Amino acid sequence: MSSLERPDDFEIRRAHLQSMSDEELHVYFWNLVDQIVRPLMEEACTHTSPSIERSVLLRMGFSSIESKQLVNQLHQHKLLGYGAGRLVLELAITKDITVREAGEALLSGKHWQELNP
Amino acid sequence: MKLDPDKKLDLQEVLKDLDKYRPKRKGWSWRKPIKNQQIGPFIYMNTSANLKHSIPLPAAEYFHNIDPQCDLVITTEIASGRFEDDLRRMRMAAWHGADHIMVIRTTGQSHIDGLIEGTPEGIGGVPITRKQIRATRKALDAIEEEVGRPINFHSYVSGVAGPEIAVLFAEEGVNGAHQDPQYNVLYRDINMHRSFVDAAESKKIMADAGLLQLDGAHNANATAKEAWKVTPELLVQHAINTRYSRAAGIPAELIALSTVPPTAPPAPKLRLDLPYAVALRDLFSGYSFRAQQNTRYMEADTLEASVTHVLDTLISRLTSTDIQSTITPDEGRNIPWHYNNIAGINSTRQTLMGIDGINEQLELKYDGPLRVQARELKERAILFLEEILESGGYYAAVEAGQFVDSGYFPERNGDGIVRDPEGGDGADTVILREPGYGAPVCSHFGNNVYAHGKDKPCDDYGGCTLCSPVKIQYIDELDPEDNVEHRLDLPLMERAQGLLKPEVEKHGDGIVCVTLFVPESPPVAEQAALEMTIHMGLKDPVVISRRMMHPAEGSVFEIKGILDVAINKDDLPRFAGVEPLSNEEIEAWIRPHDIHVVAATVGEDEHSVGLHEILDIKHGGIEKYGFHCHDLGTSVSIERIVDMVEKVNARVILISTIVTHADVHKQHMRQLDKHVKACGLREQLVLVAGGTQVTDKLARECGMDAGFGRGTTGRDVASFLMRTLRDK
Repeated sequence: MSSLERPDDFEIRRAHLQSMSDEELHVYFWNLVDQIVRPLMEEACTHTSPSIERSVLLRMGFSSIESKQLVNQLHQHKLLGYGAGRLVLELAITKDITVREAGEALLSGKHWQELNP
Repeated sequence: MKLDPDKKLDLQEVLKDLDKYRPKRKGWSWRKPIKNQQIGPFIYMNTSANLKHSIPLPAAEYFHNIDPQCDLVITTEIASGRFEDDLRRMRMAAWHGADHIMVIRTTGQSHIDGLIEGTPEGIGGVPITRKQIRATRKALDAIEEEVGRPINFHSYVSGVAGPEIAVLFAEEGVNGAHQDPQYNVLYRDINMHRSFVDAAESKKIMADAGLLQLDGAHNANATAKEAWKVTPELLVQHAINTRYSRAAGIPAELIALSTVPPTAPPAPKLRLDLPYAVALRDLFSGYSFRAQQNTRYMEADTLEASVTHVLDTLISRLTSTDIQSTITPDEGRNIPWHYNNIAGINSTRQTLMGIDGINEQLELKYDGPLRVQARELKERAILFLEEILESGGYYAAVEAGQFVDSGYFPERNGDGIVRDPEGGDGADTVILREPGYGAPVCSHFGNNVYAHGKDKPCDDYGGCTLCSPVKIQYIDELDPEDNVEHRLDLPLMERAQGLLKPEVEKHGDGIVCVTLFVPESPPVAEQAALEMTIHMGLKDPVVISRRMMHPAEGSVFEIKGILDVAINKDDLPRFAGVEPLSNEEIEAWIRPHDIHVVAATVGEDEHSVGLHEILDIKHGGIEKYGFHCHDLGTSVSIERIVDMVEKVNARVILISTIVTHADVHKQHMRQLDKHVKACGLREQLVLVAGGTQVTDKLARECGMDAGFGRGTTGRDVASFLMRTLRDK
């Protein structure tokens, strides 16, 4: 038997659950689930990914092709942690151009040095 | 776009001006239950509104063609690889009562890091793209108008591009989606961190767009060695995704648990599956349920699969469900054929109508073994959760192979799925958000400098695409060859030429299925059966189902092959059953002419229902037009009919002939023709035969003036009689 193998020891393991009412059992069930989910949620709040950043640019009016190129380039510049959408919007505000014009400028290689995280 | 029930879906119209098309509504639609609804002669307990256009169950013929619609949403899963063919299948499914169309994605889309564009052909599903989604939604918008009920369009938000697909779905009016990061981790080997981080964003987007979310727990069921032993884990998987979804912002009413009764006969199915169904509904009170039918134990026998699915549907009603998903009975042998989507829907609604109101008469016994077993499952699930925490959390538990082990937890057999938290597709792609991180868009999850204050995050630039859809960037096609316009060249040309080929999946695939019984031992019989289909002219025959009747006496085979023949519909003989006349027109001519009709079921045949449907005024029969009908009843001799004809000076004889043993129906028709000729009455009479196996062609060959088969109405017969009598 490997370390991952184990016989069905349900009757022994369940000892602490037997005295619980159905309602108590349900509360305990969801309490355990919450403990498992909490760190996963915390990670999601504090992290992003290329797909999330592309989805932000899609919502800002860029095509899937443009979003992918922009996110790839921002990632190469190690800037994704600031948010692709924020960088493009701030560039647009700084330059007094539209968001689309800001994205198109970046795609044509312009203004990269002016991105200000 | 408006559909005409008598015309085919115009695919060119669907594709026209797609760049400007916007969905007519967003979000999920439930059916509205109507209690105590009178439909035809019956009062139903669990139905919803009738459809404007539908095709009832076959036996509805005996019940005024009623087509009661159950109160559950009915799912069918559709994917041929070509969405343009799927649209026709969706329309057929909608007419048969489906209102949840689940589109399966092409193989491998989970691993494509970004969106696909255009309309490339898929394998085992369709590539989910904006154009394909938009065209499908446009067609469904028209189909739902045609049938008179909202149709929910559904696909998958999974893989490494989940958030982008979620945006696409929100923008394009997709109504529901599977979203469960555990599916990515366990079945697609996509990195855990990436899967959960992306999932939170995807869920937030789905929540705001009103998409109903289904989870992925049913996959554990479909892949486990002994599916009933994975039930404690299923409760755990449902719970993790549910809690994660709530935390990401999905309200309870938009979360549906995807659940499958785990077993199939010869296992004692209900005794094993009911405790699990009860435990699930106890623990997840307040959420919706999408009950899927079992796929784990499906073989090639479609009838066996259908019986399992009927039992699954019974479990749904005995416990509860909100969506009843149907599985095509041929899923155990091939990618579903379109008419099997309809077969799956029909066996499900047949079941649901048959058990309408069952919970008023029966209830589950909660004080016996059911309660004890349900309780045990919950406790086993809790032990599973405790062990996840003891291992150091979800990631560590997956790394330790705790999931999809074939043991009945806490039993473990050491064969669970093992994933490295730092490995898999998309490993090392999750990025820490800096303190100034921002995403100036709606429906964004997590830390975000734009998320504070009352204004929308997208106000600074005039709104994101979710607020201002005009900003959506539509890409038409990227591949000049692999696209729908290119694929449609041939079908559209063939349609214009009036060419018809059989099909089961895609236009013109030519696939047919024949059933042969061969009276020999299995290997010989199978070879012989294949040889026979070659003689029938089928190309590439393949046995798709074999079933031994007896080791020596023979086996039955279903064989698919390609019938590479196109029929030109203009070359077909004209169909005798011409367009029926209006009720008023028939009555205006018949009533003043005092036409007497003698009718009977002939031979040794006690079937009377069909003939009554044609004659009786209360069934819409020909009496209502003023025909004087003399019904002689069943098992009537030809001589008796002719005696009555002479007595009342009848102009019409209607015979019903249901029994066909030894071609007795043909003999009756020929005898009638011969006898009236011998009596010198043939010229004054119109002779009509009807029956389930009677066709117009057959009846004419046997001396009748016309023959009518299944589905005939009194109006059809009256129209024929009036035209014929008027011309005599």
